[in-house]
Amino acid sequence: MTPLLDVRDLTVRFAMPRKGLFGPRPTLEAVRQVSFTLEKGRALGIVGESGSGKTTAAMAAIRLTEAASGQVLFEGQDLLTLSNDEMRAHRRNVQLIFQDPYSSLNPRARVIDIVREPMDLMEMGTMEERTTRVRDLFRLVGLRPDQLSLFPHQFSGGQRQRISIARALTTNPKLLVCDEPVSALDVAIQAQILNLLARLKDELGLSYLLISHDLGVVRHVCDDVAVMYLGKIVEKASRAALFDSAQHPYTQALLSAAPSLARRKSKGYVRPLKISGDPPSPINPPPGCAFADRCPRAQDICREVQPDLEDKGPTRVACHFPGPVAA
Amino acid sequence: MTDTPDYKAESPTLEAWRMFRRNVPALAGVVILTFIVLATLYGTFFYSGDPYNVVWAPHEPPGVTPEFPLGTDYLGRDLVAGLLTGGGPTLAVGAAAAAITMVIGITLGSLAGFYGGWVDNLLMRITEFFQVLPALLFAMVLVTLFSPSLWTIAFAIGVVSWPQTARLTRAEFLKIKELEYVTAARAIGARNKRIIWKVILPNAMPPLIVSATLTIGIAILFEAGLSFLGLGDPNVMSWGLMIGANRDYILDAWWPVTFPGLAIFLTVFAVSLIGDGLNDAFNPKLRER
Amino acid sequence: MTALLDISDLKVTFNTRYGQVTALDSVSLHVNAGETLGVVGESGCGKSITALATMGLIPMPPGRIAGGSIRLADEELVGASPARMRAMRGADIAMIFQEPMTSLNPVFTVGDQIAEAIMLHQKVSADRAFKDAVALLDRVGIPSPAARARDYPHQLSGGMRQRVMIAMAVSCRPKVLIADEPTTALDVTVQAQIFDLLNEIQRDFGAAIVLITHDMGAISEMADRVAVMYAGRIVEEAHADDVLDFPQHPYARGLIDCIPALGREDHALKEIPGVVPPLHLLGAGCAFAERCEHANDRCRHEKPLLANHGHHPAACHGVEEGRI
Repeated sequence: MTPLLDVRDLTVRFAMPRKGLFGPRPTLEAVRQVSFTLEKGRALGIVGESGSGKTTAAMAAIRLTEAASGQVLFEGQDLLTLSNDEMRAHRRNVQLIFQDPYSSLNPRARVIDIVREPMDLMEMGTMEERTTRVRDLFRLVGLRPDQLSLFPHQFSGGQRQRISIARALTTNPKLLVCDEPVSALDVAIQAQILNLLARLKDELGLSYLLISHDLGVVRHVCDDVAVMYLGKIVEKASRAALFDSAQHPYTQALLSAAPSLARRKSKGYVRPLKISGDPPSPINPPPGCAFADRCPRAQDICREVQPDLEDKGPTRVACHFPGPVAA
Repeated sequence: MTDTPDYKAESPTLEAWRMFRRNVPALAGVVILTFIVLATLYGTFFYSGDPYNVVWAPHEPPGVTPEFPLGTDYLGRDLVAGLLTGGGPTLAVGAAAAAITMVIGITLGSLAGFYGGWVDNLLMRITEFFQVLPALLFAMVLVTLFSPSLWTIAFAIGVVSWPQTARLTRAEFLKIKELEYVTAARAIGARNKRIIWKVILPNAMPPLIVSATLTIGIAILFEAGLSFLGLGDPNVMSWGLMIGANRDYILDAWWPVTFPGLAIFLTVFAVSLIGDGLNDAFNPKLRER
Repeated sequence: MTALLDISDLKVTFNTRYGQVTALDSVSLHVNAGETLGVVGESGCGKSITALATMGLIPMPPGRIAGGSIRLADEELVGASPARMRAMRGADIAMIFQEPMTSLNPVFTVGDQIAEAIMLHQKVSADRAFKDAVALLDRVGIPSPAARARDYPHQLSGGMRQRVMIAMAVSCRPKVLIADEPTTALDVTVQAQIFDLLNEIQRDFGAAIVLITHDMGAISEMADRVAVMYAGRIVEEAHADDVLDFPQHPYARGLIDCIPALGREDHALKEIPGVVPPLHLLGAGCAFAERCEHANDRCRHEKPLLANHGHHPAACHGVEEGRI
């Protein structure tokens, strides 16, 4: 079966400001030869710190950012070769949910117009049919239809995120790209939105590309997980494999960084795996493994040779010394 | 599911209006301006008199003859009639110049801000070219080249004042186009035209409206300045023209210059109060949310 | 032993479009020296107002401290002169904010900003202050601190900026450090680093920390004691382990259960339905009743008071009646 989304060797470069008036224009490789597939009805989580290229990779995969090279096959069709008009027509298949529920809704539009706008643009059905659909969507995401004529600022963060979801569902998309959908929300509200996303996935057969820096969020919604570091995927596995037997030291560090009720100050917890510092600059990436500087296992080879993503034990991992956390 | 207390929609515009209504100086501005506009529109119904006719002795001081409460000018023309008739053209030139400023400024500014790259570079260099021209001098050249009619004057003022609006529009566009609701519009397949006009521009409007209001005031002063220099439309009575015509006799008679000057001052003052009020209404520091 | 920071019966009101609302209603808290108090609740619960009131930074008007007292080392802060509050802020009580980018001045180097904070409260030369600033940057784990001190805020990563904020906050060895959602804007890896740093700083400097957060996970790693806030009131208060292991109030329980935690089975998360009610719509009953599955008529009509009904203090009729 053709996967819903098959991304191959996707690379994204950004031109940086010129150094001096006539100096060279440095480029930044934000995404370096990233490949992943997403089957219909499944959810893939892309995890990483800010600057890891996770958002850029997803945006390039739906052509909201221009890719330098690679292929993006959506149901077998390469999106990167579509003309602008063809791409516009294709947009109904892919929708977006953003991180910041305060800047993702036009403050000067009523929410009914915000949710209906995709249908207006695609000229779907009559005006009454559109309005009925907006009402249905409002109910579906847990909002009251009598709030339709309000403006975005009259809703709380969680409610705004529900409006965003309703807007994204208007065109019956096959794929939903969720960019940090809950990280701007209170933990108590995060649960509401995550449950809603999980429910919609089951009820509507949606596929998700979910971007998050929080493994807890990914664990709750996603079937597969890819961990990105400095523009590359460093580990990829099914949820169970990744959470139970992560092989890459970076993934292990991420897992150990997530706050946990099991670590108590009263018990004098010690974080098992600490990583210090920040990732290296993507403008001049190191020749070897990008994580080597912060890695407890790094040897000489790590600083010289870039590891490839390979099947090694329970996960696909890009590391010279993969393995479980040392006791 | 959850309770939002106010079921009443509160549009941002309405919210701004609520703030504006509570602003006493701004309301005073509205009252003054309304009075001035009404007086120039309908004043002549109640006070008949031709501003061009010589009706009395020249330089009759105000308050001496009851028929001419503000006195007469150097030719013996009624000043009240002049003020009432001359207000219309003055205000019209101000409004027209502001409109021209807005149209040019918003169009170029939004294109530059939205598309960036070479479009931005080109448009901004053009803007800078106009910005470094000495505005009054350039307007004088324009008015002298074409015949000094009200419309040339409005056009000249518009042409020299749009760069500021263009820069402001561009800055707003640069800020807003990065916001996620713009990406959201792109993600649902909206074309650039729609994104510029329907999504970004309405959100960029508040500071532009404030700037438009203040531009009216500046344009009125500009018109007065041009008329004072003798470059006004000689066939149409305006406050600026009144000042310009009477300035030579200011030492003998203060009133023919002072009353039109006061009228201009009051109008510009009122417009500025309104502009400031709008500014506060759009950027409330103490709004509850 | 008297507490270092002792807030009792604090009441703060705000004038809004909907009339006067009570943002804090008889809030009592205390923090002992060297201890971390976690204040947990959703946005709009009054956590930040409590912090601002303690710092003397409530905007007045529209705000007003309508009653109660805030004592820092036995000195009353409510009604203290603005000059006294200024001298106190930064020296005795310091605050770290959520967004380190907007709380640093973009046009000065971080070293200069820390040095300035030092010189505001201590009579030292500019040279000495800058050297101290570099030492502080080193202390908060910034690599090559002498070079970084000459950087501007935008040249640093979010985590580094928050470290700078912490360095600035501890520059005068405050007795109390208030951290208002210090890691919400940061990645989990950086959050872990900041938490570890705050714990270290506390060990070294002996400062009391008030950590404001919406995340029980953060409470678990950071707090000795916890106060759970809801709609301007404290609804539960106890040692961290007691609250985490035996939450009494349904709200406290909800905040714990809703965490999408690692190492838990894959099932629908327990969610707290609905949102925090706006302050002007608070009725006579328990503010949480509308979102509470255990609410009954009494809950909707009578405000529960914070009292010990067995395990530790909670403000809940259900707990009092043994229903929950």
